[in-house]
Amino acid sequence: MLNTVKVKEENYHKGKYGENIAKDFLIKKGFNFIEANFENKIGEIDLIMTDNDWLVFIEVKYKSDDRFGVPEEMISKNKIWQVKKVAESYIVEKRHEMYKFKKYRIDAVCILGDKISHYENIE
Amino acid sequence: MLTKIWSAANYGLEAVQIETEVNVAEKGFPGFTIVGLASKAVEEAKERVKTAIINCDMEFPTAKITVNLAPADLPKEGAYYDLPIAVGILASSDQINLPDDKEYYFGELSLDGSLRHSRGVFLLAILAKEKGVKKIFVPRLCANEAAVVEGIEVYPVNSLKDLIRHLRGDKLIEPLKYVESHELLDKSIIQFDFSEILGQESAKRALEIAAAGGHNVFLMGPPGSGKTMLSRALPGILPPLSEDESLEVTKIYSITGNIPSGGSMIRNRPFRSPHHTTSQVGLIGGGSNPRPGEISLAHRGVLFIDEFPELSRISLEALRQPIEDGYVSISRASGSVTFPCQFMLVAAANPCPCGYLGDEKKECKCNVHQVLNYQKKLSGPIMDRIDIHLNVPSVDVNKLMVKNVDNTSEKSEVIRERVIKAREIQKIRFKNAKGVYCNSDMKNKHLKEWAKLEESANLLLKNAVNKFSLSARTYFRLIKVSRTIADLAASDTIKEVHIAEALQYRVRTGE
Repeated sequence: MLNTVKVKEENYHKGKYGENIAKDFLIKKGFNFIEANFENKIGEIDLIMTDNDWLVFIEVKYKSDDRFGVPEEMISKNKIWQVKKVAESYIVEKRHEMYKFKKYRIDAVCILGDKISHYENIE
Repeated sequence: MLTKIWSAANYGLEAVQIETEVNVAEKGFPGFTIVGLASKAVEEAKERVKTAIINCDMEFPTAKITVNLAPADLPKEGAYYDLPIAVGILASSDQINLPDDKEYYFGELSLDGSLRHSRGVFLLAILAKEKGVKKIFVPRLCANEAAVVEGIEVYPVNSLKDLIRHLRGDKLIEPLKYVESHELLDKSIIQFDFSEILGQESAKRALEIAAAGGHNVFLMGPPGSGKTMLSRALPGILPPLSEDESLEVTKIYSITGNIPSGGSMIRNRPFRSPHHTTSQVGLIGGGSNPRPGEISLAHRGVLFIDEFPELSRISLEALRQPIEDGYVSISRASGSVTFPCQFMLVAAANPCPCGYLGDEKKECKCNVHQVLNYQKKLSGPIMDRIDIHLNVPSVDVNKLMVKNVDNTSEKSEVIRERVIKAREIQKIRFKNAKGVYCNSDMKNKHLKEWAKLEESANLLLKNAVNKFSLSARTYFRLIKVSRTIADLAASDTIKEVHIAEALQYRVRTGE
């Protein structure tokens, strides 16, 4: 029988691994890192970074292979809605530091094996 | 890349051209959206199309796919946009090339890529002919429906895989040959033969008249007297559908998905017997995207309602206008549709709740109040629209015990011959009148020209109308029935005897 605690722990590490890849990839692209894993009762944002004058909330999906589908499929409308809600509360919470950003967007980074795809401004 | 595929939507009894625009974007977050007032069934096309494409060993693009069904203000229903969407996606992602000519694609996909039986292919073929579209791709299961339309090439498609091979030029699909509709005659199985029904000679004669002229019939009698059996035997004496009638009926059957797989034209007169609990919408037609009801499915055929007074009051009264007009207009939020419904109503009922009122041997156990309540349901207006009122008394036991059945009763075939002959006379008479096929279709304005009464007949009719205080509608209906009786007797003018027989079917018990 599968040990659920163990599986959850493994998944957490896999997620962390993917987030690190995404972070390095975006920094190379010229993004600035602000925060990782911002959490509240609604949900979690994997990465918060800046791209010039944009404040970018990033959802990262990592999959080692496509036996169960591509990572893009795993980002549902609900997930985007959740990220949006968390992002809104983040902006309100940190308004004193974030006032300089006028533009916000949500990006997705999908990693399949070694292939990294970056989608800007998903809705 | 953007691709435009043509398809059609069924709306009422017509097909409307639908442009399916499929865009597979190079940039953007992958997703699949369908816009253009798509219903749930169209929304679900996403999953079917995706799985079908993958199961046909093709690639489903991981990209932002947008499908637009235009015109955007017309509600889209049904699953037959699966094929145009799938072809559009494959063409937009450069997996297949489409010719420049306008073609129609139509059909519901199964998960393995094969095409399922889809409603309304016949209408699509008619639309294609109208719009000058040469090629249509439809599921093989219902391609025969389209093959009767001249001047278009119908490609029967088994599966998406076959279609891809065809479009790539690897293995071409053979277009179906045009089939002339009169080649498609088929024999129907009839439940009862008239010779099996013992006794009830007058009822048989009345049904013969009804079949010959398309008149409405009301059968009243105690339980077990053979009302249902008589009605079930009726299809056996109905004449076959003419070419034009067949087209009208096939349209309705195609749109409701009632044409079986592989079938094409409907050649036999429909015989519908809805249960008396049928709702008003089920009977008349309706729904948010209006669909034909039982009365339209019985178009050019017979609508048989057993236990007529048990029908709900609303349904019963709703029948009034369609019986008179021969069409029904249904208005809903999405628009208004007109369905034809020139049917022959055959209604059967008991005289009272227990069934034995007026029976010679058995005593009726109902009280006056019950009988009145029961008969009250059959309101004047509805009974006024019925031409032939029949009493079907219980059969004498001596008649049931006759040994040699064949010698005593006529076979359905023999009666049918006479009916067909009478219809031939009518066909010649009405050859210049559009939409009039039998005597009951005649409008009052036609009567002067086509139903000439002899002097004595006129006098008899006048006396009868005065004596029984018959309504104006009844007067005209009486003439129509007499016309049919005269046709059966191959008489040019309506004689006194014909009027007399018609009157005999008119007078009801309790009047």
